[in-house]
Parts: sequence; C-alpha cells; structure tokens
Amino acid sequence: MSALVSEVGTRTAAAAHNLVKVYGKGDTAVRALDGIDVAFQAGRFTAIMGPSGSGKSTLMHCLAGLDTVDSGAIHIGQTEITKLNDKDLTKLRRDRVGFVFQAFNLLPTLTAEQNILLGLELAGRKPDQEWFDTIVTVLGLRDRLTHRPTELSGGQQQRVACARALVARPEVIFADEPTGNLDSRSGAEVLDFLRMSVRKLGQTVIMVTHDPVAASYADRVVLLADGRLAGEIHQPTTESVVNALTHLGA
Amino acid sequence: MLKTILAGLRARTARLVLSSIAIALGVAFVTGTLVLGDAVEEQTRDNFARSARNVDAAVHLSENSPDRDNGIPVDFLQKIRAATGVAGADSREFGSAALLGGDGKARNALVQPLPTTEALRDFNLRDGRFPAKADEAAVDTKTAQIAKLKVGDQVKLLDEDNAEHAFTVVGTYQQGAGSLSMSGSDHVVVSPEGLHTVIPKQRVYEIVAVAKDGVSQQQLVDTIKGVVGASYQVQTGEQLTQETLKQVGDAAAEIKTFLLAFAAISLVVAGMVIYNTFTILVAQRTKELALLRCVGAERGQVFRSVLAEAVFMGLAASVLGILGGLGVSAGLQALVGTVGGPSGDDVAIRLPISWVTIAAGFGVGVVVTVLSAVLPARRATKVAPVAALRSQPDSHDDVARTGKVRIVLAALIALAGGVAVYFGLRQEEEELAMFITGGATMVLLLAVLLLGPLYVGPVNRLFGKVLRGVPAKLASANAGRNPKRTAATTAALMIGVTIVAMVTVVAGSGRETMSKKVDERFPSDYEVSSSVYSQPLTSKFADELAKVRNVAQVAPQLTASTESPQLPYAYVTGYPADAIGSLVRAETTTGPLTPLKDGEIAMREKEAKEAGLSIGSSLKLGGKDFTVVSLLKDNSYGTGIVTLPSATALLPEAPKGYEKLLVKLAPGTDVATARADLERVIATSPVAVLNSAAETKAELNGQIDQILLFIWALVGLALVIALFGIANTLTLSVLERTRESALLRALGLTRGQLRQMLVVESILMALIGAVVGVVLGAGFGWLLVQAISNSELQISFSVPYGQIGIMLGLAVVAAVVAAALPARRAAKSSVVAGMAEA
Repeated sequence: MSALVSEVGTRTAAAAHNLVKVYGKGDTAVRALDGIDVAFQAGRFTAIMGPSGSGKSTLMHCLAGLDTVDSGAIHIGQTEITKLNDKDLTKLRRDRVGFVFQAFNLLPTLTAEQNILLGLELAGRKPDQEWFDTIVTVLGLRDRLTHRPTELSGGQQQRVACARALVARPEVIFADEPTGNLDSRSGAEVLDFLRMSVRKLGQTVIMVTHDPVAASYADRVVLLADGRLAGEIHQPTTESVVNALTHLGA
Repeated sequence: MLKTILAGLRARTARLVLSSIAIALGVAFVTGTLVLGDAVEEQTRDNFARSARNVDAAVHLSENSPDRDNGIPVDFLQKIRAATGVAGADSREFGSAALLGGDGKARNALVQPLPTTEALRDFNLRDGRFPAKADEAAVDTKTAQIAKLKVGDQVKLLDEDNAEHAFTVVGTYQQGAGSLSMSGSDHVVVSPEGLHTVIPKQRVYEIVAVAKDGVSQQQLVDTIKGVVGASYQVQTGEQLTQETLKQVGDAAAEIKTFLLAFAAISLVVAGMVIYNTFTILVAQRTKELALLRCVGAERGQVFRSVLAEAVFMGLAASVLGILGGLGVSAGLQALVGTVGGPSGDDVAIRLPISWVTIAAGFGVGVVVTVLSAVLPARRATKVAPVAALRSQPDSHDDVARTGKVRIVLAALIALAGGVAVYFGLRQEEEELAMFITGGATMVLLLAVLLLGPLYVGPVNRLFGKVLRGVPAKLASANAGRNPKRTAATTAALMIGVTIVAMVTVVAGSGRETMSKKVDERFPSDYEVSSSVYSQPLTSKFADELAKVRNVAQVAPQLTASTESPQLPYAYVTGYPADAIGSLVRAETTTGPLTPLKDGEIAMREKEAKEAGLSIGSSLKLGGKDFTVVSLLKDNSYGTGIVTLPSATALLPEAPKGYEKLLVKLAPGTDVATARADLERVIATSPVAVLNSAAETKAELNGQIDQILLFIWALVGLALVIALFGIANTLTLSVLERTRESALLRALGLTRGQLRQMLVVESILMALIGAVVGVVLGAGFGWLLVQAISNSELQISFSVPYGQIGIMLGLAVVAAVVAAALPARRAAKSSVVAGMAEA
C-alpha cells in the first residue's frame, strides 16, 4: 500500500500557476490572490492555512472551479479548468471533484442515502454498490440512511457529506472548514476519516482550515498570507502549525 | 423607527415591488369585478329600461282615469310642455301597420313617433339620421337586416284601408330590450306628422318629461300632478326605471348576483395571494427583525414597524390596483364586445366607479395586507433574538403539522356543506335548488381549502411518480417540502379553476341537454312558420310544400284557445294523427302518445294533476268531452295535444290556415339541396319563414357560449393573479434556497438543470391547483346539474373534456411563464456568493 501511495504521490492532482484574483475596483480593490504558484500532489492530504483574509478560501474556490480568476491558470489533473466554460466546469465538478463544506452540505428534502448518491445521479452514473457499502460502514451511517438532514446531528451530517464526496471516487476532494461547526469529538471523527481516505483509499484531499489541530491531520500544510504563499510545513504537528502561524501574524 | 422603516423599504425595493404587484393585482381583480358588475347593471338598465332613459317624470293611465280606451288626452302634452320646470316632454304611442320592405314581403310593423325632445328618444342611432320630415322613416337594425333595407331605400306602410304611404329610410337605430322591442315584429320610427298620415288616431299610453336643471324629479312630478289631476298616475324617472326592470324580470338581478359572487371569490383569491406573499416576506426578514431586537428595539416597536410597512405598501399598491382594475374591466368589456355582444349590439365601455368599489379595493389592499403581515410578524417576534440571529430558520423547519383542529374544523364545514347539498337537491324549484346547492358547494370548497396542506403532499407525490431525471425529482421534493405554503400558493388557482370547471360543466350539460331536447322534440327537419300572426299559412301552401322533391311528410300545426270549466285557461295544439309520434314526439310520463284518436287528449301532467285528472278521466274543452289518454312531461303544447280535426272543431270558425308546418325530408336527403328547393316555395308566400332545428340549436348554443366567454374572461384574470402568486412564491423560495441552489451547482447541477428544476416545480404547483380544481369543479357541476334537474326538466350531466383540457394546458403554459424570471435569477447567481449567504 505504501508503495502505491508514494507512486501516485509524485503525480499532481491540482495546480495553480501565477493566480491573481482581485475584488473591487480602483482604490477599494483587494488582491485576494496575488500571484500564487502552488501544486497539490495526488494521494496526499493537504491543508491550506492562513489568517482571516489571507485568501485561503478564495484559493480553494478557484481551484475547485467554483469561482473565476482574473489571471493565471489552474489545472485539475491534465485539464486547464481556467479555460472551461460554465457548463464544462459544472461537469468537471460533477465528475471529477468532491466537496465537503463547513455547513449546509445536504439538501433538506433528501434522505441521507439520496444525498450521498446525489452527485452520481446528477452525472447519470450507477453507484458501485460495494464501494457505497464500504463507505457507509466505515462512516457508521448504516442505520442513518433513511433519515433526513434535520434528523441528523452535526457530526453525522458532515459524515454524510464525506460519504457523498467519496462515493464518486473524485480526483480531488475539496474540504472547506469541514470541522468548523462541529464539537471537537465529531471534528476528530471527520478528520480521521479524511486522513484514512487518503492513506488507505488513495484519495486526494485539499482542506481549508484555520484550526491548527485540524491541520495536524494533513501530510502537508500550505501557508497563505495576503494572497501570497507564505511557506509550507511537511508532516505538521499542532505545535509546528501554531508556531508557523504565530510567525505569520508577527 | 420611521426612519428605519423607510430605509428598509428603500433597501428592499426589488422584493417589495414584487409583493406590491401581487397586492395590486389582487386589488385590480376585486375592483375590476365590481366595476364590471356595475357596468353590466348600467348596461342592463340602459338595455332593459331604455324607455326610462333620461325620464324625470312619467304620466300613465290609472284605474280611475276617465276614457281609458282612448288613452291619455292629447292636449295633456301641450299643457305639460308649458308647465314650469319642464325642459321637454313627449308622448309615447305606437300603432301597427303592414310594412312592405325591400324583399316585397308584407310584415307586421310597430310604428312609433320620434320624440321631439332629444333626451327622450329611447333609440340609439346607428346609421344616417332620425326622420325629420313627414315622408322620412328610420328602421331598427334588426328590421333593416331581415327586411333587407338600407339608408336611402323606400318602404311602404299600409294603412287600415290598405292605402300605401311611401317613406324614405333615412337612418337605422337600435332599441333597448323591452316588451315592445321583443315583440318580434318590425320596428319603424317616423316623425309625429308622418305617423298621423298612416294612423290618424293613436292611443297615447305614456307621457314622459325631462326636468330643467335644478328641478328635482319629485318637484317635476308634483308640478305635473297639478296639470293632469289626480286621476292619472305620475311617477319619477327612478320609479319608472325600477318598474320597467321588474317587468323584464329578474334577469338583470341575476347577472348582478352572479358578478357579486364572483367578486367575493376574487376577494378570497386576492387575499390568499397577498397573505402568502407577506408570510414569505416576513419569514425572510426574521433575521433582520432579530437584529433590530438585539440592538434594543422592543418587540412592540418591531411589530409596529412591520405593520407600518404593510400599511404603506398596501396603500400604494391599492391605488395602483384600483387603476388597474378599471383598465381590466374596460379591456374585458372591449373583449366581450368584439367577440360578439348580446344580439350584436354595440357594447359601449362603461366605467362606473362607486364608493363601494373604492372601499373594497382599499379594504382588500390594506386590510388583507396588514393582516397578512401581522400574523407572521407575531411569529417572528416571538423567537428569542439571539436564536433568530444564529440560524436562518428555514421555512421547511417549521413545516407545520396540520393540526387536528384544522381537520375537525374542515370536517364540520364539510358536514354543513353536505347537509346543505342534501337540502338543495331535494328542492323542486329550480332557482332555489340552484342557490342552495351552489352555496353549499362553496362551503365544501372552503373545507377542501382548509384541508389543503393535507392533500398537496399526496397529490404532489402522485405527480412526482411520473417524473424522471434528477432536476424533476428535486422539484417534486421542493414542491412538497412546505405543504402549507404550497397549499396556499395553489389555492388561488384551485378556486379559479373550480369555478370555471363548474360553470363549464353546468353550461356544457345544459347545452347538451338542449340540443338533445331540440332533436327529440323537433324530429322534423324544418319548420315553416308565418311571420305575421294574423296571416296563417294556407293549406294550399302546405300542399305546395308537400310536392317539393325529397319532402317525405308535411304536418300542419294548429293551436286552439278554448275554455274549460276544469282549468283556469286552456289551449290545445292539434296535429294530424299520422304525424303524432313521428313528426311530433312529446315526452310522456304515463300512457302512450299514439295512437291518438279524435276526442282524445294527451294532456300536460302538471295541469292534469292540478285539475285532479288522470288517465281515462274526462276533460271538458269548449263544450266537448275529451278523454285523457296519456300524460305529457313537455310544456310546449299548452294544455295538451289533440288531433287536427279535434283542434279545428274547437275553433269558433273554420281556420284560414296554420301557424306552422312541420317538414320531414326523405332519409338521406342532402340538407343544403333540400333547403334550396324549399326556399323556392317559401318565396311564393309573403309571410312564410323557414326554420330548422339546426338553426335553433346554433342560436341556443350561441347564447350559452356568450355567457361562457364572459366567465372565461373573468377567470382568465383570476388565473393571471394565481400565477403571479406562483411566481411570487417561487421567487421568494429561490431567495430562501440560495445556499441550496449553490450547493447543487457545486455538486454538478448545470444552470439549465437548475432552471428546469424550478420550471417543473412551478408546473407541479399549477397542476396541483388545476387538477384539484377540475375534479372539484366537475363534482360541483354534477351536483348543480342534479339540483337544477327536476321532474319537468332533466339535464343530463356531461363533461366538456376539450375545454377542460385546454384549461389544464393553459395552466401548464402559464406555470412555465411564471417560473421564467425566478429561474433566470436562480441560475444567474454565483455559486460562491450563494454558499457564503448565511
């Protein structure tokens, strides 16, 4: 298994080249991304960190094809997504990307199972029953499948979101503060699962977080400040991340 | 606080404009209906009481007038004209004369003098001008059409000694509906001098007068009373109008009742749309209201701010709506006028504005808006401010469990409605049965409306089953997520569709029954009748007709008025024995119609019952004894049917001919050829007129279609409002579900699919309303048909599927239109911005 991981680890799952994103115009213009060059290796768990307003969320939105950029290029696998139109971008998100958001991940009208399979249904793909069973069992959602989101706890809702992201076996899963709304125990469960999906299942996960504990689950932490790359940490621990952030703030 | 309110109004302009339009439309609907109702009444007054138009005082004969046979003394007119306060006066009189028109046929004509006072002319000029000289005449438009006369033609009037008097037609006119104008003969107006050359001495039956400015009707009446004395009746114009309308019957009152009922329905529909809009609007602002409370606003202040906003919006929208209502009613009148006003008359567009209309408009606009705002605002202010701030309470969280209270209430109302239906169905009298049953169906409708949140779920799931594809399934889930809201949104449409479906079914059934009746009752292919009552069709003419090729049978009809000691009045219809059962097919209740022998009578059941007669009884008619052999359901044969010889024997002198000839063609004859053949013979008689059942049917259908057209126009309006309600609900739902839409877009729903989702949701909502409405309407229609049917008149129930199909189709099309804007808006918004919206 470890051989396999190191092998795919050399491949790039997502990359940004000289990315610029400006909000507003004239005097009030803010350069949210100010020429960022960054690559994310496949089969790795990467965390993007930085203080508020550092551009970490914007970077993730752009990488995931949710937002447009002013200049620069983004690749998902071999595809330069900055050249795609809205329709192709939608298809790319549907077929090749998974999402776990901070909150409001699920459609209130659908059951947990329907929510998990929503992406596949949109793509018109048949779910792999064995794979689905594996994910559901690992996430402990077996007896929650017929429940609607309002009947699930916050942690359960996030696990359903994780299951949805994984079931389609996307090239990259983007997680935007996935533990932001959870208590520490539920948060740990979700992070454990994300790390396991990378280590054991070979998934690629890119996570935005402001929580050093959450970041310590990742293989690598990319630090952002003022829309620019401000360093990175390999095999981070909570302490090393806190340290790095303190230096950024200083 | 006022500043905050105004700032809020400014900040949310777009959203408020949408809601204001909904309110304005509701108000427009109510005022439109009311204005239309008043216009119809005014129109009816003019149409049915045109003879009372502009009249301030009228003189009539009374019981104790001297010399009643000679009418009102002619010198009264001069005296009244000379009296103080009289601006003008004219006598009303009419005489009969034979008219020779363009087609050379003699017809009965009513000749009236043209009132010299312009205001007192109860005719509306169409072409040319009114006669000014003694040898000029004007004819009414129907006469012009039938007698093929136009301005510039010559007509001749024959006086009592058959001397011809020539007149030049200088104009055509329209008259109001009344006993004179409806009498079926031709109408000619000549100058008073012209009249006296043809008919030297006329009987004046009425003198009408207009008051000078500043003289009241009552003052004028008092003055005239002094002139004519106590032995004549003097009325005010208003009294005359009322009396004239009463004579016409309650047709006018019925139209008014109908429109009032529709206005009531429009009130409910408008109220619902407004309520729905505001509920959503306030629900959306829960957070803002909570913030206001967090920074120190008291609950009362927040509450008042919502209230003030509602009053402001309600007032503004009401003004718009009232203006819109005027436009709508003008448009509807123009539409009905274009497609064909009653009997082809010109329909003038009238916009009477009464204080009731204005009050109702503001009432609906302001009161309903405020009520609709207050209830959700109460709910919003009940929540602890911090809780409201923390989480956006999605409306689907408070999907209200439909309370038991609601079910019990609905059951009670339904029970009351059911009892009323039971009583309505048992009524023998048509009108009463219709009113009770009609009212009862509305009570049942209320029960169904109350149960709305209960049934929209299952109905929606039923429709959802046939849907394929993710967007459609999501749409179905969305439509079912808040049953209360969906129910309220679809209710307006449902009411509208229920009413149209009901009226369509009742009218359709009535039409079906009528044409069936026409077929049954008139098995003859043609009827030839005489256009001049005093000149019947001769038996020689009947023989000529029988000789026409393809004519299989000709049967004369002879009506004989007679006397019977057993009956208050008696007149029988006679046919040749061999035509009874073939060309004459009356519906019997007991006893066979054929063979009917001389001295026997097939008697109308009702009269037989009243006289205590049954089969085998003896009936004395004109001194002769008739045996009752069967009882008739039909009332179109007078006391009953007898053989032609029996009828002839009842007449004091040998008849000059027959009033009607029934013609049967040989089977398989081409109707067009036969008609041409028959018309050649018809042309030889100056008085014969050809009728056919087909034409009668077309005429009947035309009348019903006219009513339907009007109802469809009104309901079209209800539909527009209901759809606006759907658009409104969708728009607000889209706003509410911004994050959801963004999530779906992130997960791979394309813009097109998102739009599709909303369109399907809109169609689902429209279909729920329309389908439930159609089912209810058909059911209610069936009840009404049952209620109107009695032992005398059986109406067979039939559903006009085509029209109802069109209605459902229209609902779908309109739903797509309604979804267009909200869908566009939803698809345009950015994913990231949507996700960020908390």
